[in-house]
Formats: sequence, C-alpha cells, structure tokens
Amino acid sequence: MTSTAEAVGFWVLAPIAVIAALGLLFAKKAVHAALGMALVMCILGIFYIMQKADFLGVIQVFVYTGAVMMLFLFVLMLVGVDSSDSVVETIKGQRWASFLLVIGLAGVLFFAIGAAVIDETTVQSGMDKLVATNKETGNVTGLAELIFGQYVWIFEVTSALLITAALGAMVLAHRERLSPRITQAEWAAKRVRDNKNVAGLPAPGVYARHNAVDTPALLPDGTPSDLSVSRVLVARDQVATTDALRDVERHMAREIEEGGSK
Amino acid sequence: MNSYVPILFMLGLGFAFAALSVFTSLVVGPKRYNRAKLEAYECGIQPTPHAAGGGRVPIKYYLTAMLFIIFDIESIFLYPFAVAFNKLGLFALVEMVLFILTVFIAYAYVWRRGGLEWD
Amino acid sequence: MSFVTAYGVAAALPMENPTADFSDTPWWVALIKAVGVFVYLLISTLLVIWFERRVIGRMQQRPGPNRNGPFGLLQTLADGMKSMLKEDITPANAEKFIYTLAPLIAATMAFVSFAIIPLGGTVSMFGHETPLQVTDVPIAVLLVLAVASVGVYGIILAGWSSGSTYPLLGGLRSTAQVISYEIAMGLSLVAIFLYSGSMSTSAIVSAQSSLWYILPAFFSFAVYVITMVGETNRLPFDLAEGEGELTGGFHTEYSSMRFAMFFLGEYVNMFTVSALATTLFLGGPQAPPLISAINDNMFGGGWWGLLWFTLKLWVFMFIFVWLRGSLPRVRYDQFMRFGWKFLIPITLAWVVAVAFIRGAQLGFLGDSKLTFAGRELSVATVVIVSIVAVIALAAAWIWDDKRAAKAAAEDEAPPEEIDPFEGGYPVPPLPGQRLAEPGPRISATREPVLSTASTTSATSTFAKEEDHG
Repeated sequence: MTSTAEAVGFWVLAPIAVIAALGLLFAKKAVHAALGMALVMCILGIFYIMQKADFLGVIQVFVYTGAVMMLFLFVLMLVGVDSSDSVVETIKGQRWASFLLVIGLAGVLFFAIGAAVIDETTVQSGMDKLVATNKETGNVTGLAELIFGQYVWIFEVTSALLITAALGAMVLAHRERLSPRITQAEWAAKRVRDNKNVAGLPAPGVYARHNAVDTPALLPDGTPSDLSVSRVLVARDQVATTDALRDVERHMAREIEEGGSK
Repeated sequence: MNSYVPILFMLGLGFAFAALSVFTSLVVGPKRYNRAKLEAYECGIQPTPHAAGGGRVPIKYYLTAMLFIIFDIESIFLYPFAVAFNKLGLFALVEMVLFILTVFIAYAYVWRRGGLEWD
Repeated sequence: MSFVTAYGVAAALPMENPTADFSDTPWWVALIKAVGVFVYLLISTLLVIWFERRVIGRMQQRPGPNRNGPFGLLQTLADGMKSMLKEDITPANAEKFIYTLAPLIAATMAFVSFAIIPLGGTVSMFGHETPLQVTDVPIAVLLVLAVASVGVYGIILAGWSSGSTYPLLGGLRSTAQVISYEIAMGLSLVAIFLYSGSMSTSAIVSAQSSLWYILPAFFSFAVYVITMVGETNRLPFDLAEGEGELTGGFHTEYSSMRFAMFFLGEYVNMFTVSALATTLFLGGPQAPPLISAINDNMFGGGWWGLLWFTLKLWVFMFIFVWLRGSLPRVRYDQFMRFGWKFLIPITLAWVVAVAFIRGAQLGFLGDSKLTFAGRELSVATVVIVSIVAVIALAAAWIWDDKRAAKAAAEDEAPPEEIDPFEGGYPVPPLPGQRLAEPGPRISATREPVLSTASTTSATSTFAKEEDHG
C-alpha cells in the first residue's frame, strides 16, 4: 500500500514533527515554540505532497509557514518574550473552562477519527482515484472543479470570514488618528513661524577624542548646550559629560600657548 | 522517482554549503576576546542594554501581517481558478468576481479607517 | 504569430501538468543537474557582484575593482576568502541558536527555488535524454513563492535574535516590506496562469512558443519587475538597510561568513526572481524571435537554451544594477503606500480584466464572430478589450488631470521682485528675480512694513513682529 520511499519519508519526518510539536508545548522561550510550530507546518506540507496532494502541500507551507506563523512571530515579539511565563488568570474560572473545552475537543476528535473508515481497500481506492485525477485532469484543476462546483457556497462564505478578520485586526491593532499628521514641510514652516531654532538645533559636540550624539556641544563660554543632545538620551541618562573634554581642551590650549612662547 | 526529490537535493546542497562555510569560518577565523566587540552595535554612544522597547515590536506590524494573510488567502483561491479557468466557464468567473468584490469591501474598510497609512 | 490563434479557442486546451519529460532521468542524473545548477548559481553570484561594482563604477565615472585577476574578476572571490578569515562575532545579547540559524535559513532557501527553473531544452546527458531543468512539478511557480515566504524567516529571526535595536527595526521593516510586495507579486502571476492554464514552469515555457507572455500580460510584467526589486530588498527599495537610519538593517550585528550568507542569499534571490521573470514573461530558454526564425530554429532547444536563458537573466541583473546606479532610496511610508494603495488594487483590477478577456477568447461570453482585416475575432473579445481600454484610459486621464491641477496650484509664478529680508531672514532670489531696493527696514529701526510685495503673508509678518517683541 505505501511505497518504501513514502514509508522512509514518514518515519524520518514524523518523529521530527512530533519533537517540534512537543517543543511548541515545552519550549521556555515563546519564539522557540513558534519556530517549532513553523517546522510542524512545513513537515505537514511535505506529508501532503507525499500523499499526492501537491497543491494542498505547497499551500500549507505558503499560508501557514509563511503568513500565519509570521503573524504569530509578530504577536510574540509584540507582547515581549517574558510575558509568556505569566500564569495569572485574567478572567476568573478561565482555566477550568479551557480544561472542559479541551476535554470536549478531544472527545469530538476521538469519535470523529474513530468513525472514519480506515480499512485498506477504501484508502487504496481513494488514493487510486486521486492519482488518476492528478494524471488526467491535474491536481489543481481537480481542486478548482470542486471549489467552483460542490463547495462554491463555502468558497463565497470564506470572503465573509476574511472581512471579519480585517475588522478584528482593525479593532485590535489600529490606533485612530485624532489629528491630521504633520508633514515635514509643515514642521519646517512651523519652525520658521515660531522663530525658534530656525536653522535647526545645534549639532552635538565633535571632538578629536569623542564624536557621538551623546556629547553636548560647548557654547562659547564653555558650558554644554542642552539643545544639542537628543531628549531620549537625556531621559535615559546617557549624556556624556563634557568636563573631561574641557580639561583636554584647556590642556591643549596651554600647550599651544607654551609652544607660542618658546 | 518522485519529481519532488530533486528539490530536496537543492535544499541539501544549499544547506550543506551554508553550514560548511559558517563552520569553516568559525574554525579558521581568529578569536580575540574584547568586551566592546560583544556589545550591541551603536554609533559612538553607550549601547542600550536591550533592543528598543525591550525587543518588542510595534503593534502596527500586526495589522500588516493580518492584511497579508487576507490577501494571501485571496490569491490562493485565484490560482486554481486561473489554472482551471478554461474548464470552469462563466459561472466560475462570476463567482470569482463576487469573491474579489467581497474581499475588496474589507480592503476598502481598512483603507477608509486609515489602516494602510504608515508614518 | 497571431494573437488570436495563439490564445483563442482554436488552441487545444492546455494541460496543467509539466510538459518536460523526466521519465528517462535516473536519480543520479538529477543529482548531477542539481550540483550543476548550484555551481551555476555560485559562479553567477561571484560574477554579478563584480559586474555590479564595475557597472556602478562606470555609471559613477570611476573604474571599479580592477586589480585581482583579469579585469578584477577575482575580486569577489578574494572578498569571500577574506570574510572567511575574519572573526565571527556573536554579540553577548544575542540568542545564540537562532542567531546562527537565521543566516543558514536565508542562504539555504535562496537556492531551493532554482530547482524548478528550466535552463534549456532536452539534452543528452550520460546516455539519458533529460531536460535541462532539475525538476518540474505541477505547482512549480507556487513553490517559488512558498520558499520565498520561508526565506523571510531568515530576515526576521536575524533581526530579532541580535538583541540590538538597529537589527530589530531593520528586520521588521524588511519583513513587512517583503510580505507586502509578495501579495502584488502573487497577484501579478495570476494573469500568466490564466493564459497558460498551468503553474508548471515547463508548461508555461512551452505555452509561450508562439508569443512571449510579456506582450499579452505586459502589465503583470511591469508589476512583477517592481515587486521583484521590493522582494529582494534592492535599491530603490533597500529600506531595511537605509544606512542613514538603520546602519546595516537586520544584519548589523553579523560578521564573517554568517554575514556573507545573507549577502549570498540576497544575490541568489536576485537570480531566482529574475529567472522566474525570464521563465514566465520572456519564454525562458527559447531563442529570441528573429534568431528562432533562422534555419527552422537551429539555435533553439538543447544546450542553446542555456545561452538564451543566461542572456535574458543578465538583462534583469543589469536592470537591478542600473536601478541601483540611478535611483535614490524611497521613504518607508511612500514605499508602503505604493505597495498597498496602488500596486495591490490595480493588480487585482488587471487580473479581473484578464479573466474577462480570456473568458471572451474561450467563448464563455458568447460565440458571435466578426471578420476584420481578414482575421476572425470574437465579438466578446473586442467588446471586453475595448471596455478595459476605455476604463484604463479614463483612469489615466483623471489621474493626469488631477496631477496637472496639483502642479498648476503649486506652480505659481514667483513675483518679479523679491525683498530678501522680508521674512526677517535673508532669502536668495530665484533666477530672473530682481532684488527690491533695500527699504527703510534694513536701517537700524527695522520697523515692520506690511505693504511690501504681494507675497507678504500673515506668517512672515507675525515672525517679524515676534522678532521685535
């Protein structure tokens, strides 16, 4: 029934898929878990192709590994790495409810799989039919005939699902803009109108020893200019002091003076 | 021989080459410890201990990924339609136009709400 | 080479399965072909980096690398060797395992897609008749897209695992960019599938024997070329590594061979998207029209295909380099706006239009024919094509009108006379403008004068008053 190549492929890939799936459950870092799941999705795609469902297999990789897992990764990176360890129940009784749901799902899956006919002749005849279709009409055409024939209603309803997805994403992630966006040109005009720092803020200090945005420029009287360093760096307390540089400067000035008098 | 096996050949060759190159450079290359070398890159100032925002991603990207999925699924339905079009006939064309129009509602909604703005 | 006979009802309904015959190809011949394609790609990459630097050099009026080997051809090899001998640094903040995995994914996935690209016709290899193509499957083109979407993992994981700000932002930008342009790319391919009725590369190439798809699917070609630049993160769309903002983007922290793997991946990806463009739009390994007419196509098929394929591939490589040499980088919001608000809807509209045109050709919209200039055309085709053309023209017209109105609004003739000190700050005159005689304002008092030239706006008056207050 199964060819040797297929059996070998299955016994090589299936353990990897199981290990990756367990990694999804037990990985400490959320991103590792997501990668485990991406691997499972890839291997599922290969299984489909081994079962002669070419289009389904490549779509599995394309949509699940490519798009859905990318969304997962974004979400994981969105919430931060550590928050996955949080075990605080935000909704009361959530854990028990999810436990019951899991039992229910397991029961449904158990009976659904148990009720499926998996005797060898049925499977073989289904496989033969698929191989014949792949050869005569083609895998994709056969699928298209099903989508636009028997399942056309489901296909049309899918579009409603997609609208819901867009709606949900907008509700969850979109921040409505309350005021119009200020463009670069408007900022420039505003700067001139306010007549403050029209030529831009002073540039940070540039010295022979140190050349970075965290070093304030020195005003003519030797005091550092607060305007020349970014607010962010001030907030982070990362601004370099200019004392040392001033000392160096003084030292150099003295050397020059000494050189001049010699 | 299954026609997918040669693809695995290419995968194997590519991976072998990449892994071998990285491994060789690890063996051949020098190793000189320097604390500054191991710090995160920064243009002169003190590097922050973590990546911006604690390594978190702006939520904006979630929306992009979600929209990507929506259009991905739309194009997935377009492929079998396109391939089998000559056998499907007018009915499929009408159905497909309906489908595209419905998904376009989602697109128009996101556009109107400003979900496609990027600043 | 008539359009109607090539794509009309008369043509036999195409089969979606590959037309290339691999029945006489044992596994070891396939392996040899795979190694051959792999070496072809590596050598091409070495060459194209040299080519790029030389051509950019020419465009910028400097010689480019010319020391190592004849014409500097060995420069890339020397660079590669040198990068191998450099220290491979893993930053202290990095997530060690993923940090190593990311460049491996990026480089590996780049090679996979080339397995389904037809490089030539059927040749005899070690006593076996086999096509010059590693393999072909019914969903070959989709496979390229799937592999590309897995390859994106290399970018996002590299950015995330570096544990540093610039790579994180660069990786995110890059990922968002690639997935955004992948949609438009995928949609642009639908037109090809509509014409060819197949997603297998060999079937698409053989369906182009009478007419390359660049003509009937010209708009898809334009969209594809734009998106392929966006997909490969190349100028003018290399926002992920905008040096002024993000240093090196997602690979900022990488060094030595791990960096080189990203570099290799980028160039191999350029070859992959170009090869796909060649296959889908330019007839793949088929000889160009005039040459194919010579002596009953004596320069087509077999090993000759490899020559034509390589030439077409390098045309795209030149375009990549040319773009890099001539265009500045776009801004990120402009880039995303272009992708989401222009490319995607217009490509969808194009796909619908092609579906209608194709449906008319196949006779789904009525069978009535009319004869024009000795050719039989289906009425439906003519009607649909005219409707599409009218809509396109109207859209272009409206767009052009709007742009002209906007340009007219902006393009006010500057006043003939300018007061350089009017706003309180010195402004140089435009060409052709006369300097106004310095008024009394320049004198010590500098009283604001409200009735100067017509350009005196409320704001500048305001600025002046504040200046004095």
